[in-house]
Amino acid sequence: MKRALTLLGLLGVVSGAFAAAEVGKPAPEFTATDINGQTHKLSDYQGKIVVLESYNQDCPFCHNHYRTGAMQELQRELTAKGVVWLVVNSVSPNYPSHRSPEAARKEWASQKINATAWLDDSSGAIGKAYGMRTTPDMFVVDRAGVLVYAGAIDDRPATSGDPRTARNYVRDAVERLQAGETVAVTQTKPYGCGVKYGS
Amino acid sequence: MFVRRITNFLGVAWFCLAGLSAEAAHTEARLILAAETARPGDTVLAGVQLRMDPRWHTYWRNPGASGMATKVEWQLPAGVKAGTIQWPVPEKLPDEDLTTYIYTNEAVLLVPLKLAGDLGPGPLDLKASVSWLECDLQCVPGQAEVQASLNIGSEIKASRDADFLHTWQTKAPKNGEALSARAWWEGAGTGKSRYLLLEWNSAAAVSEADFFPDASEDFEVQPATERVPAAPGKIRLRKEVKKLAGDWPRQISGVLIQQSGPARLAYEVNLPIESSPTAAAVNTSPAVAIGVVAPSLWKMLLYAFLGGLILNVMPCVLPVIALKILGFVGQAKDEPRQVRKLGLIYALGVLVSFLVLAGLVIGVKAAGHKAGWGMQFGNPQFLVVLTALVTLVALNLFGVFEVNPDARVMDAAGTLALKHGPAGAFFNGVLATILATPCTAPFLGAALGFAFTQTAGIIVLMFVVVGLGLASPYVVLSWQPGWLKFLPKPGVWMERFKVAMGFPMLATAVWLFSLIPLHYGKRALWLGLFLVILALAAWVYGEFVQRGRAHRGLGIAAALALLVGGYLYAVEDQLRWRSPVSDTALAGSLKEGPDGIDWQRWSPAAVAQARAQGRPVFVDFTADWCLTCQANKRIAIDVPSVRAKLKEINAAALLGDYTRLPDAITTELNRFGRAGVPLVLVYPKNPNEPPQVLPEALTPGIVLAALDGAGR
Repeated sequence: MKRALTLLGLLGVVSGAFAAAEVGKPAPEFTATDINGQTHKLSDYQGKIVVLESYNQDCPFCHNHYRTGAMQELQRELTAKGVVWLVVNSVSPNYPSHRSPEAARKEWASQKINATAWLDDSSGAIGKAYGMRTTPDMFVVDRAGVLVYAGAIDDRPATSGDPRTARNYVRDAVERLQAGETVAVTQTKPYGCGVKYGS
Repeated sequence: MFVRRITNFLGVAWFCLAGLSAEAAHTEARLILAAETARPGDTVLAGVQLRMDPRWHTYWRNPGASGMATKVEWQLPAGVKAGTIQWPVPEKLPDEDLTTYIYTNEAVLLVPLKLAGDLGPGPLDLKASVSWLECDLQCVPGQAEVQASLNIGSEIKASRDADFLHTWQTKAPKNGEALSARAWWEGAGTGKSRYLLLEWNSAAAVSEADFFPDASEDFEVQPATERVPAAPGKIRLRKEVKKLAGDWPRQISGVLIQQSGPARLAYEVNLPIESSPTAAAVNTSPAVAIGVVAPSLWKMLLYAFLGGLILNVMPCVLPVIALKILGFVGQAKDEPRQVRKLGLIYALGVLVSFLVLAGLVIGVKAAGHKAGWGMQFGNPQFLVVLTALVTLVALNLFGVFEVNPDARVMDAAGTLALKHGPAGAFFNGVLATILATPCTAPFLGAALGFAFTQTAGIIVLMFVVVGLGLASPYVVLSWQPGWLKFLPKPGVWMERFKVAMGFPMLATAVWLFSLIPLHYGKRALWLGLFLVILALAAWVYGEFVQRGRAHRGLGIAAALALLVGGYLYAVEDQLRWRSPVSDTALAGSLKEGPDGIDWQRWSPAAVAQARAQGRPVFVDFTADWCLTCQANKRIAIDVPSVRAKLKEINAAALLGDYTRLPDAITTELNRFGRAGVPLVLVYPKNPNEPPQVLPEALTPGIVLAALDGAGR
């Protein structure tokens, strides 16, 4: 009888955690090379909060965040708190906005990017696994590897003006995670230019 | 009149510094008026004309998955008020999943300007600041200050642009009030996705229909559109709505599009969303639309019972059945009362397991997730536990160790060991239920599909009836033990039979193990090693504790040490069974081998696209853990005759992989009244005809006949 009860107990371990890139479920695993040739695996960062930023400097929405320095500031602020910030560039080589690793290294320096790394995703694998639609489209993964935020960086879809005046959903999500709270806004509609995937 | 100016100097300067090659110079904007002179109190039609260079586009009021709607900010003199923009019908640019609504070449945004009654005569300067996003391979923001002048006088005098503006006015979407358009939800909202049905009247034959939704911050209407059958004179569309925040919307607005011959008609609508179709639509309810008639509870209960009964002969449960037969033989000499009691306890084990399953289904549904039959097989931890358990059962059958400590010494006939105590009978019931779930039997699919959409009470009732069906043969037999006369007398053969039954059980373990790498990749090896350690521990326990005479304490310690050490090292440390590898990026082709069917990944959009091309569509919803599905594939789907037929009728073959239980497929299964896989659909070439739902167990004949019908 005891065995039977144990078994029934085990039946109860069912938990939903299967589909790719859904808020509240494990974030899809990926392995990618950054512009310096280093390999990054999402699971390597378990125990840390990870921010993914879909990036294309030629997109005026993304560009405005860098032009004003607001994005670099947020990157510096969060990485100083131990957050891993991965810039994901999914622009396919078919587009003029594609960056070779060399061009990307130059852009990293000229834009003073403060992220942990810039991942070369020209195959679009990470972008598609996460359903990245626009630049910028932001994702926050908690310490346990669960996707806790997906969507716009803030509530100010614009190609000009100062993003610091907006409500920043990414900062909000990270601060709440670090305070041990649950994320309040978990999903918003991303704004920006479409991600330039190949085929 | 013509003004084209880019004023954001700073922005442009910055683009140059950043090394941007593109400039915001691919779109020209100007402001035109339908009148040169107008009277106070008149309404004058104005137009913001946007002309895009070839390949460049700007966006509709709902840009779609990316982009930005064009903005017009008026600077008007006192006494002139601008109305809302009438947007021309955009093009839908399908860019894989990133669909946008765009304008190419030229678009005129129409705005009525209302003149106050007390305006004095003389010229007025009308100005607006227009900003937009223009995209080709790159996106560039554009901005222009536009202006036009209007004379206030005592008569209306049309301008030379009047005819041009009126042509654009005739092309603008009409008011859709006369269409009797309605919108309602197809079912309850579970999770973040829900289907919306839209229906309106159309006198003309419509070759193509669509709905372009307005944008919202709280939800998104997905771009894929499915045309579903409707009553004559009506058009019905099905759209998926994904919720981002808050409650499900109660109102939906946008533009209905219909193509009748060469004419493309568009209607602005703003509709309340009904929770279910009202009386007017009952005769063509959504269930009818996909060819499933709303079933009666009694019929479904009968199906549930029959399904449970038939489960007994499905391959999943067979090893357990063999054990059960053995149990009966062992009990043949017993008192009838004891036999009956054990039969009932077995039934109790089955029923309790089904109640637990029902509770899980209700719990998962209440938590807002999708529930499905066999869903626990998509859970990696469950698979690990079950693989270990089934391995232990096989070892037990081989006689490595005994379950019932009182029977550890076997007599010559081997009968004692085979005699199931109440615990054993209960355990058998539980095991039969767990092993049954990756199979569906005929009748069961329909019954469970019905059950999963019902209230908690009916879910429990349906599950109990399936359990009764599964347990009934044994209960009946234990009441009528006379049939046991037909079996050979108990003897040594029983021990041999028991060991022989260990092999199918071992095969079950191998099958379960084959599902592990899906979730743990190469780490699966460590589960295999753990199973070996587990077997060793079981042997130490059986040999030195159960059958041994001396140093039993040492035996227990050794078995425990193996078990705990093996668990901590192999399962916790190496397999890391709590953190399965999640889904990585999905590959494009799902073809198995060079001659295999050229499967494409299933999605509602893929179905809609293939149907729009006038191709028949063959859809197979399957899962690695679904044995019925695997059998179907081997026997009736991935076979030369079916492959040839698919090519012959140019059908699109779409594979929906349910192994990891994606919500999108659960929704689709529920829509077809199913709770689990297999589900095989054949959509006919004519996009207005509903798909045919094939039975659970297939033969090539069934599939070929359905495809023949679909290709015609």
